[in-house]
Amino acid sequence: MGWWGHDVVTDEKFFAWLDGELEGDEAKMVADEVAADPGLARKAEEHRALQRRLSDAFGTIATAPLPDALAVPTRHEPEVVDLAAARRARQSGGWSGLPQWAAIAATLAIGIFVGTMVPHRSDGPVMVEGGRVYAAAALDQALTEQLASAPSGDTRIGLTFRDQAGAICRSFTQGPSSGLACRNGSRWQVRGLFGSPEGQSGSYRMAAGMDPNLAGLVDSTMAGEPFDASQEMAAKDKGWR
Amino acid sequence: MVPSISFESELAELLPRLRRFAYTLSRSAADADDLTQASVERALKSRGQWQEGTRLDSWAYRIMRNLWIDTVRSRSRRDRVEAPAEEADRLGEDPTASMDAAVDLSRMMAAMERLPDEQREVVALILIEGFGYRETAEMLDVPIGTVSSRLVRGRTALLGMVGA
Repeated sequence: MGWWGHDVVTDEKFFAWLDGELEGDEAKMVADEVAADPGLARKAEEHRALQRRLSDAFGTIATAPLPDALAVPTRHEPEVVDLAAARRARQSGGWSGLPQWAAIAATLAIGIFVGTMVPHRSDGPVMVEGGRVYAAAALDQALTEQLASAPSGDTRIGLTFRDQAGAICRSFTQGPSSGLACRNGSRWQVRGLFGSPEGQSGSYRMAAGMDPNLAGLVDSTMAGEPFDASQEMAAKDKGWR
Repeated sequence: MVPSISFESELAELLPRLRRFAYTLSRSAADADDLTQASVERALKSRGQWQEGTRLDSWAYRIMRNLWIDTVRSRSRRDRVEAPAEEADRLGEDPTASMDAAVDLSRMMAAMERLPDEQREVVALILIEGFGYRETAEMLDVPIGTVSSRLVRGRTALLGMVGA
């Protein structure tokens, strides 16, 4: 121990003791001094109280909800897609298919999205804000309120699950399009939206199952297993956190 | 093991703590959130430099601290438009946080802001973020004795400002 270099209780040594940085004889020496000196004892108490106040005050930030703008972008860019992860997710019960799907789907998601799915309509299912796309209007409401087992309106909820960062994601179908949205703060950020080709009717799509592009995106996004009905209900009750 | 998955999710888990560190360093809530986002982006870009098996939190804090220095040094102090006393209002609501702590945050931020930068970062890392002296010294690339003496001056000045 000797980096303090003195045998008197310097400020440095006193605070090192207070912060639990001293050990053995050195710690005991300071503890004895503090016990024998009311001035030092009071100083120790004042500084413990100061540290508690700092922890409590700044602790409110660590426990406050994160603003929407703050997030670790996980799967936004095609090059981020991790084929090994997609494979692993599939092995743990995801969809069957080609490993490249993840990358292809992500590319398509962005392409189709920008090209066709974000017209300048104020009543559209999505809105763009700060470079991010969020569910809006009826879609937002359906993602927040609907359970997969109880479809209502023209939006159907498919799977609910957590992504690798822990955010809850839900796949949905609305009219001719289907997509995936994940919780970001108090909103649903749309990770992908896919349009079905002309002439492919709703019933055909239903019979054919999930759009393969969406399936690939879901596959690459999901960590673990999709929620069952009771987990979905519990997640809803907790505000999708 | 899939490094990219654990990296992203661990970084996401760190976000609240990183944000808290940003608040201890920054002069306003807006600056703090900008700093947090910029740090996350920098961390994602620099992920190749992080060595698996080493602490991600120290690495990320270091990135944030370097960005903060760059920002502070390149910015005029005249553009301080928001008084720290108003910052607690911007935090968002958390029904579980005690009102007292939230109110005290304004005073603490104001007091922290008056500390010299090199004392503030040491106080933040050790007294608020809970790092040890040695970890802090390594993060800041200074001798442990320097950490210790800055901490003495910083906490003593803080106590003088906010009382016991």
